[in-house]
Amino acid sequence: MSMLTRAEVEDFLYHEAALLDEWKTMEWAELFTEDGEYLVPPMELPNADKNEALFIINDDHHRLVQRAKRLTRRTAHVEFPHSKVRHAIHNVRILEQDESSLSVATNQVVYRAKRQNLDTFVCHVVYRLARTTDGLRIRSKRVMLDIDGLRPHGMISAIL
Amino acid sequence: MNKPRDAGLSDTHFIRIDPERCEFLVPRWAFTDQAVLDKERAEIFSRCWLYVGHASEIPKPGDFVVRKVGGRQLFLWRGEDDQPRVYFNTCTHRGAIVCRERQGNAKRLTCPYHGWTYDTRGGMVEQPGASGFPDDFFANGAKDLKSPAKVDSYRDFVFVNFDPEAVDLKTYLAGAAEYLDVVADQGEHGMEVTPGEQAYSMRANWKLLYENSADGYHAITAHASYFDYLRATVGVFREDFNPHEVGGGGKSLGNGHAVIEYQAPWGRPVAQWVPQWGESGKEEVGRVKAELASRLGEQRADRIANWNRNILIFPNLIINDIMGLTIRTFQPINPGYLEVTAWSLAPRGEHQEMRAWRQYNFNEFLGPAGFATPDDVEMLELCQQAYQNMPEVGWNDISKGMNRPDNNQGDDEVQMRSFWIRWDELMGAARHEKV
Ligand code: FES
Ligand SMILES: [Fe+2]
Repeated sequence: MSMLTRAEVEDFLYHEAALLDEWKTMEWAELFTEDGEYLVPPMELPNADKNEALFIINDDHHRLVQRAKRLTRRTAHVEFPHSKVRHAIHNVRILEQDESSLSVATNQVVYRAKRQNLDTFVCHVVYRLARTTDGLRIRSKRVMLDIDGLRPHGMISAIL
Repeated sequence: MNKPRDAGLSDTHFIRIDPERCEFLVPRWAFTDQAVLDKERAEIFSRCWLYVGHASEIPKPGDFVVRKVGGRQLFLWRGEDDQPRVYFNTCTHRGAIVCRERQGNAKRLTCPYHGWTYDTRGGMVEQPGASGFPDDFFANGAKDLKSPAKVDSYRDFVFVNFDPEAVDLKTYLAGAAEYLDVVADQGEHGMEVTPGEQAYSMRANWKLLYENSADGYHAITAHASYFDYLRATVGVFREDFNPHEVGGGGKSLGNGHAVIEYQAPWGRPVAQWVPQWGESGKEEVGRVKAELASRLGEQRADRIANWNRNILIFPNLIINDIMGLTIRTFQPINPGYLEVTAWSLAPRGEHQEMRAWRQYNFNEFLGPAGFATPDDVEMLELCQQAYQNMPEVGWNDISKGMNRPDNNQGDDEVQMRSFWIRWDELMGAARHEKV
């Protein structure tokens, strides 16, 4: 296989963002490999180990699928009705790649609007992507928040 | 102000209790009124013991963490004599914040504004341009860092009290002390706060979170999607489990403290296994349980391991001993907004597999992106917003279980009533004023 260009990687990330912005969460979960994970480390310890530190999100594949599923239900009260979400992706950098995988760093801003509040999440997102016969898949999505406390956001109810 | 016209006119209390009807009502303006919050700052947050941090967060001499507590800016600093102390984070000169990092280690802290320097005992040890002051100007601790009137700890939980007249911590904790023992006894070598704090917030009044933290009644509806997750995750590992019948119940622990104790289907690193944890997890849980039994006796080990508890320590400390062990404290910022900070507490020297499951578990229900807490935040915000329907709709009802005073179940509201009765007592000084 030839090396992927940044534009090809960006297309994939924009696709992921579009799914999240449209609340197609189950389709989003399908972008992950079977051993995929979705992580939000503590804000003050972006490089922490999930087995030792208290994370904000520490989803293995099982749990990220459950998270996606929960968000399709009316009983996920916090997101019923769904808030408006918009992901903006910038500064995409391929850090390294070989035949089978890539690691990609991005800056992202996620906006969430509900009940006349607008919450902004400034993120440094690092992906480990797998190259499969079905195209790119996410092995790990690590969202490091560049904010000092989820205040006044209160929480992360949508997927970042 | 949007208050019912008869607010404050009930005989002696803000709250209305009708024992005949088994009815307990709380005025909604207690959640919205700035004057109430001002009074709470004076009568509650300036007089009650408030949680600051856990001694394990500052293990070495010189270690510090900064905290907002009861509307003050504090920091906890371990002295070179190994004594943990709490200081107001303000320079005695013109007031600048002295300790500017969230946490760290320092033998001395120098105020960034004019350079006054303090040691770990709070002593003023150096100041530029000292010749501009008389020789004895700084003598006798005149310009040392100031501390809250009282600082004390119980089983490594460090509290402060801004009232020099306050009762001692142990007396204040009343029946809650024994529950702190249940938590602290879980670690063979003591307990420690793990790295990583969850700092979040709610656009709601602080009392709503106290109520919510041991509100068994809302679990089935507000957290329906969490129970779906649980079914998909641990399946039917306990076939006898019926979320409507979790045993135990709620009780008041005195001084506004309360607890609910119950059984639940989720995994507990101390020491309830779930299939998700596999065979090696099963072995380790067995070992934890055996260690508890040999150290504390079979009966106490069973109580610690098999029962969940949400412990409420008035006014703003919650210890949830559930699928993980949480320390959660929250501060009112304004009547409709609070800030929460939460940590995971764990046995020191815990096996790394159990530690990993503990941290994983914490996130399954709890925290600002768990499968339940965001829904709690939503509920509290829905309440807070809807309190705008005053004066026409002016009262909250927390009567559930009043018709069975000797047998309060986990989904009754006794723990909220004990909070409000204490709240009412403390706010009583204000009751005849125009609040
Ligand atoms: S305010 Fe601290 S030295 Fe002046
Ligand atoms: Fe809840």
